[in-house]
Amino acid sequence: MPTRPLEKVLYVEDDEDIQRIVRMSLERVGKMSVEIVSNSSQAIDRMKAFKPDLVMLDWMMPEMDGPTLFRAMQQDPEVASLPVIFITAKASPRELEELVRLGAKGTISKPFSPKDLPDQLRGLWHALPD
Amino acid sequence: MDLLNAPERSLRDEPNLALLEKQRAQADPRKILADRVEQLYAQLWIAILGAFAVGGIATFELWEPRYRGLMLFWWGLVLLTTLASTSLLVSYRRSPNKLDQAEQWLRWHGLAALAIGSVWGFAGAVFFPAHTGEQQVFLAFLLAGVVTGGIPVFSGSWPIFAVFAASVLLPFTYILATFGNRLFMELAALAPVFYAVNVAIAYRLASVFSTGYRLRYAYSELTDDYRILNKRLGDQLLELQEAGRQVEESGRKLALFADRAPIAVIEIGTDGCIQQLNPSAEALFGYAPAELLGKPIQTLVAPAAQAAFQQQWQTLVETGSPLLAQLMRNLRRDGLEVVCEWTVTPLVNPDGRVLSVVAQGRDMSSQLEAERMKKEFTSTLSHELRTPLTSIIGSLQLVNSGVMGGVDKDVLELTVIAERNGQRLLDLINDLLDVEKIRAGKFDITLESLAIDDVLKEALVLNRAFAERYRVELKAADSLPAACVCADRKRLLQVLTNLISNAAKFSPAGETVDIGLQQQSHSVRVSVQDRGPGIPADFRAKIFTRFSQADAATARQKGGTGLGLAICKHLIELMHGAIGFQDRPGGGTIFWIEIPMQDVSQTNKEN
Repeated sequence: MPTRPLEKVLYVEDDEDIQRIVRMSLERVGKMSVEIVSNSSQAIDRMKAFKPDLVMLDWMMPEMDGPTLFRAMQQDPEVASLPVIFITAKASPRELEELVRLGAKGTISKPFSPKDLPDQLRGLWHALPD
Repeated sequence: MDLLNAPERSLRDEPNLALLEKQRAQADPRKILADRVEQLYAQLWIAILGAFAVGGIATFELWEPRYRGLMLFWWGLVLLTTLASTSLLVSYRRSPNKLDQAEQWLRWHGLAALAIGSVWGFAGAVFFPAHTGEQQVFLAFLLAGVVTGGIPVFSGSWPIFAVFAASVLLPFTYILATFGNRLFMELAALAPVFYAVNVAIAYRLASVFSTGYRLRYAYSELTDDYRILNKRLGDQLLELQEAGRQVEESGRKLALFADRAPIAVIEIGTDGCIQQLNPSAEALFGYAPAELLGKPIQTLVAPAAQAAFQQQWQTLVETGSPLLAQLMRNLRRDGLEVVCEWTVTPLVNPDGRVLSVVAQGRDMSSQLEAERMKKEFTSTLSHELRTPLTSIIGSLQLVNSGVMGGVDKDVLELTVIAERNGQRLLDLINDLLDVEKIRAGKFDITLESLAIDDVLKEALVLNRAFAERYRVELKAADSLPAACVCADRKRLLQVLTNLISNAAKFSPAGETVDIGLQQQSHSVRVSVQDRGPGIPADFRAKIFTRFSQADAATARQKGGTGLGLAICKHLIELMHGAIGFQDRPGGGTIFWIEIPMQDVSQTNKEN
């Protein structure tokens, strides 16, 4: 269990409305620092710059979808160790299990509650091995 | 008609022929006797006429006025026997049943022979002593002639002839022997020899006749056999013609069915070459008529499926066991691949050898494409509807929760309504997607070991706010029994939420919904008890079916899709549990579910 609190979250999401809601939820309710990335192809560079505690990936995105980005992250030693959580409106339970098996630390399904989202993330954060 | 059995059918089974054969076997000796009797009667008129004529000649020759009375008496006897014999002959001719009464007619014939013989015996005995030299010689010759003449007439039955000859000769021999004349005594001694020779000849003749009749019947038997054989052959020919006609007819029908069938029908030889195919098959694979005849069936198999096909074909020809609903990638003439569903039936002869293989197939490409599109549509629906709903509900939730700062009371009331209805829309979408998954049989269930009391507490927490809206209190025992069940956590929560929210919705304001948990021998029962109006009698049977709501007006007022309980039932059954309801004493309804307790063997089972 990590000793320090969850402070910096990077979210890769193409839908601007959801970006704004997540930003408000995490900043206002969760008092966290949030970095939003719209274009998944730039995500890894932005991760390297922002150095988040945790990464949230949307499943369906144009250009590169969440699982593909996740696999790309695993190939890059600089970001490979970042804990990843998927946010999805689509995946079946079996697909989610498969992601967890590949190394994702958790899944949150859409629609999520912006009121509860920070607590959900903290719960997953504290469940991580140190 | 059963073609295979027809030639094996025994000819002796045919009733009319069997009867004929039986009759023939039984009738043999009786018929021979009847024929002999027939012959005897046929010659009787000779005896009658002969006796009458010879009687006339004898009367003329032996006439002497002093024996007038005696002669007239004898002549009367001749007349009498003639008349009696004639009437016997006539009765025989008219007799309807000569065959069965043959023995009786034979006896009557014997009596007639005895009577005729006796008349001549009388003549010998009476007229011989009364006459002299020449007339005595005449009489002796006459009697010998009568006896000898009787041979052809009575030889149909030698005993009759023996009786006849004896009745002629016995009185005469007696007179000769007792006449007191040496010559006559010597003649009397010769008479038995004469008698014996004549009877021997008659016997011999009789046996010749018998042999004749027997031969005649043997021949007639042969003729019968021939006739029976002929009839059998004729019958068989007819049966074969009928069978041929039926085969031809069913062949024509079959050809018609295959020709017009909308599915592809292909007959393949055991060498793997196409022997026959219908127009649908040619159209499916894009070939011209007859172009595929003789080609190997592999022509129609997609390259990627060749190896698997080869193996299947081998097994099929060796075992002769059919394949049902086999999906296969096939190759069209233009190089396009189609997916077809095949039913493959080997035609097997009685020895179990495969003669050929009939394959019936239909193009599944469009159906599979439709299924794929439907799946894609469902998935798109899921994503495209949920994404905007995430924004709508999320925004409203942030506003309503107050983290964005204070909002005007009237505005807040409206945003609360908007959030609630957004949630309702989301529930509806989720229900529809669930129903679609149930319909497609693609509901994924992950069974795990769960502490049912924890799940129940979570369900209470999740639904408290909802119940408060209806001013209903959710109440559970302070200490729930701890038990481990085998279930899917998310889906179990879904079911509990459905039952609790239903109970809250239908309870009058101010009432309590009691939630109970009882441990049973192999399962745990969760009951949700409300004080609602109860389930109407006519609705009880269909409460767990899709789109069923007791009252359309209530449905609009309370919300819901009518899918919830149908989904609950399906989910609980996937978890190997049970769901039901009963009336609650004092009013209201108890809905219950039973979930099997943790069993190691049932973990992680999927639908």
